[in-house]
Order: sequence, then structure tokens, then C-alpha cells
Amino acid sequence: MDLSLIVQAVVSGVLSSGLYALVSVGLALAIGVIGIVNFAHGEFFMVGAFLTYTLFVAFGIDPVVAVLFVAPALFLLGAVLYRTTIQHVLEAPELNQMLLTFGIGIVLQNLALLIWGGDPVSIAGIAYRSVGFKILGVSVGLVQLVSFAVSLALVGGLYFALSRSRLGRAMRAVAQNRVGASLVGLEVNRVYLVAFALSALLAGIGGVMIAVIQSPTPTIGLAFTLKAFSIVVLAGLGNIRGILAASLVVALSESLVATLVPNGGTLSNAVFFAIIFLALIWRSRRTA
Amino acid sequence: MRLWRDLLPVAAFAALLWFLPDLLRAGAGRASVSYLSLVTNAVGLAVLALSWDVLARTGQLSLAHAAFYGTGAYVTTLVARHLDLPLWVGIPAGGAVAALLAVGLGVVTLRLRGIYFAIATLAFTEVLRAFFRQLPTSFAGGAAGMNVAPLFRPAFDPATMERWEIAFLRNEGYYLLYAGLLVLTIGISLWTRRSRLRQAFTAIRTNEEVAGVMGVRPARMKVLAFALSSVSVGMLGAIHAHRVGSVVPEGAFSVATTVFALVTPIFGGLYTTLGPILGAGLLAGIEETLKRNLADGYLIGYGLVLVLSILFMPRGIVGTVRGVARRRRAAAAAAARASEGGAR
Repeated sequence: MDLSLIVQAVVSGVLSSGLYALVSVGLALAIGVIGIVNFAHGEFFMVGAFLTYTLFVAFGIDPVVAVLFVAPALFLLGAVLYRTTIQHVLEAPELNQMLLTFGIGIVLQNLALLIWGGDPVSIAGIAYRSVGFKILGVSVGLVQLVSFAVSLALVGGLYFALSRSRLGRAMRAVAQNRVGASLVGLEVNRVYLVAFALSALLAGIGGVMIAVIQSPTPTIGLAFTLKAFSIVVLAGLGNIRGILAASLVVALSESLVATLVPNGGTLSNAVFFAIIFLALIWRSRRTA
Repeated sequence: MRLWRDLLPVAAFAALLWFLPDLLRAGAGRASVSYLSLVTNAVGLAVLALSWDVLARTGQLSLAHAAFYGTGAYVTTLVARHLDLPLWVGIPAGGAVAALLAVGLGVVTLRLRGIYFAIATLAFTEVLRAFFRQLPTSFAGGAAGMNVAPLFRPAFDPATMERWEIAFLRNEGYYLLYAGLLVLTIGISLWTRRSRLRQAFTAIRTNEEVAGVMGVRPARMKVLAFALSSVSVGMLGAIHAHRVGSVVPEGAFSVATTVFALVTPIFGGLYTTLGPILGAGLLAGIEETLKRNLADGYLIGYGLVLVLSILFMPRGIVGTVRGVARRRRAAAAAAARASEGGAR
């Protein structure tokens, strides 16, 4: 096996881990703060990607600028969904909560299929899309590099905000003890709303990046929900700090399988799901 | 006494299913071909929904129904392709392999609950799909899938039949198989509702530790529920493969199958026998209407029904109606007591 091929796989794995971390940290926020496992999380990501595509195709808005529209739009979508649906099942059995978010995911995905059709869409004709460097024989795409840096910055910013800002401290308080938080005067419902909307926003920004990096279809959401979920589980449910390391593990294993295993491109998803499945079972055996 | 209360409605329903093709044929003539296939879809949906509900009664949200359905479809196709056996053998074989797989999945996922169980079953389905796709193309068709021979080849007799009656007879064969499967699934469902399994399943759903303390064996019960739930789905997938004439990995293990299986009972009424059947009848009609108008996104109807059911009718149609009836009776009894007290 050619060594440079492995190095290349490692580099591209590391670069895509940023995006995974960005999407997963949103899911972890929803789970950790609200206690809702959001099956529709990957659909926020998908909606972000397709909004970016439409802004580009219909108005010629560059994805770099489109973030300024997509991020607030997803925040709003998250807030509206929280107010109209999630808020009403907070006390319901976990089964109902999961089914509700699953239903929201189905609606969003099929709405996208109705609007954009089932074929992959591509933002062709942006000059920087194909720019890349070659460092010591390893090629690095500009877009991948920038999205990695931006993702890390956003995840880092979220850590900082959670530990320092007033809202972040409120979120952690609510996550730890809902009743206690409301007793000391926090408006729990508002904190939940912001946390959920923020989680949609983070996924949406990830969507902007994927719209430039790949050619997405409206059905990418579910796979990303699963990937984000497995990263969150790997990091420890509700533990936001472990997300970066877990994303690295997942992204690396994915890119190594795609490179090293023959026919690995089509197989990498299956390998990924096999890893999730085995990890869940292994974890349940160990803890019990 | 108790038994008769169940047997009579089931027998009446089975009779209705049995005579329905003749009624349709007499009433609608040529158009009955498409009516019959719509009814067949509804019956298939009912099998899917009711069998999913049996597993849900132990409190597990399974997203693996498509796995059992696809396994049944693949097993019957492989049997027809590689073994020199009558075609129908593939159908019980599909059910049996699906049940074995379910037992295996049930055993390894025993300790997973809630979201972990849901995700594990969904990942399992994806892995199984990839497994069948990666099998050698000469053996299982690869990504392009395989053709399957039809189960029924009615002969055309120009003297006594019109052209459309060929299609009708073919549809009728599949319809009757589906209907038989539905009656079997109703039997399974009623058994778990009327025997001591009901208390066992409910106890596990409510609190597994307490159920264990009370003498229920949660592990055994959950695996049993898995097997009961998957056997009819496996056979359904097998019959469906013959009905449509082909099997492909994407279609056989489609997430849509799982969505159908869980939305229908929630809409109709979870943990009941009537609810999933009622829900299937209504949803099959809605689906047909949506499919005619929306090509790619018709599943949106299922998503909306799911969201609205959870928000406004979490106990489904049957649960809501029963709740209203119970409240009425309670109110009437209270009123009667009050008037008695006033007279005294």
C-alpha cells in the first residue's frame, strides 16, 4: 500500500471531522440541555444545504454570503418547530418524543423532495470550489480547509459561550436541574427554545459547507442524523467536550475505509453503520 | 365466553376479506382490478402495522421492520433462483429466516433501550441492505437486484373471460395471500392481548426492573415479541416480491417500510388490534391520493399524520374514541348517583 495514499486519507479524514463536529455539537446541545433526541437534526443540515443552493441559483448569492441568510433562517425554523411541536411533548413518554422528531424529519425531507426533486444538486461555477494546494505530495482543498477552520472556531465558540456567557450558564443550569433553574428565576422554556434553535443553526451552517463541498440530495439528512448521533454517543450522551475527539475517530475511520478497502467508496457508509451497531451493543454489555 | 367475543368479529372480518373480491367484481367490473390492488395495499399495510405494534407493546421503538421485510423478499427470491422447489416454499422460508434474524437481533439488543435501541435497529437495517447489495452479483443480483417469478399465472380462456379478468385473477391471488397473513397477524396480536403475555408486555413497557422483580422474564419476553413481530413481515416481504416481480436492495430495505409500519399504529391506536387495521385502511386511501399527485414526496403525508397524531391524538383513533366513551359512561354514572342522592 502506497504510504502517500494513507497520508492523504488521514488528512482528508481530519479535515472532514470539523464538519461532523459542527453538526454533532448541535445534536448534543439538544440532548444535553432539553433532553430531546432529535431525529430531524440531519434534516436541518439538509435544509441549510438546499437553501444555500437556491440562494446561489436563483439570486446568484455566493455561499460565503449565503451563511448570513441561512443561519438566521435555520434559527427561526428551529424556534418555530420548538414552539409548535417540541414544547408540547416535553412531559410525554420518550417514545412519543422520538416519534415526533422522526415525523418532523420525514416532513422536512419530503418537503425538500417536493421542492428540489430527488437528484443531487451542485453549486457549479464558483471559482474557489476547485482551488487546492499540494503540500508534501498531499493535496488539500481550499474549501475543505476553510470549512474545517470555521467549524472548529464555531465549536470552540460554543464551548466558550456555554462556560462564560450568561445564556450559556443558564443552559447548563437548566440542563442540570430544570426545577432548580426555574426556582432561581430562569425562564426554562425560553432557554430550551434558544438551545433548540441554536442547534438547528449550527446544523444549518454545516449544510452551507456541504453544499459547496459535495453535491447533496434531499435524502442526506438521515445519514447525518445517524452519524451525528453515533458521534454524540461515542463522546458520551450530553458531553459536549468529547465531540471533537469522537468526530475525529468517526471521520478518520470513514476516510480510511473508503481509501484502503477495495470498493470502499460505496461500502464506507455500511461500515460506518456496522460500527455504530457494534458500538451500541458493546457499550450496553459493558455498562450492564 | 371471552374467546367467542374475539372469534366472532375476527370470523366476520375474515369472511368480509374472503368475499370482498367477488363483491368488487360484481359491483365495479373492469375498474375492480385497480380497486382490488388498492385494497391489497391496505391489507399489506395492516399486516406491517399490526406486527410492528406487537413489538411496540414491550416498549421498544423498532426501526428494523424494513430489515425483516427485505429479508423475506430476498429469501424467497434466492430460493426461487437457486433451489429446485415450488415457488410458494419461499414464503414460509422468508418468514422463518426473518424470525430467526429477529431473534438474533433481539438477543444482542436486549439491554438497549429507547433511543439506543431505535438507532441500533436502524443501523442494523442499513448494514443488512449493504450486505445483500455486496453479495456476488451472480448469486443475489448486486445493486441492480433480481427478477422474481410471479406466483400466479392464470390461463386466459377467450370463450368465457375478458382481458381484464386475467389481471383481476392475478391480483386476487396476492390479495388472498395478504388477507390470510392479516388473519394470522390478528391471531398473533389477539393472543398477546388476551393471554398472560399482555400483563408481561405491559409490565416490561412500564418498568422493566419492576417487571423482573414481579416474576416476568423481560429478556425472554422481548425476544418472543421480536419473533412474533417479524414472522408475518418476512412473509409479507416475500409475497410482495412475487407480486411486483423484482427485488432491489434500495426498495426491499427502504426506510419508507419502517415509516409505514410505525405511523399506522400510532395513527390508529397503539397497543390495540383494531387500531393498526383501522389506521391502515385510512392511510392506504390517503397514500393513494397523494401518490397520484406527488411523485417524489408522497411520504410527507405520513410525516404529517405522525406529527399531528403525537401532538393532538397520542392515543390514536381507537384510544381517543375509547377515552371519550369511558368519560361519557363515567359522567352518566356520576349523574345517576347525583340524582339518586337528590331523591333521597
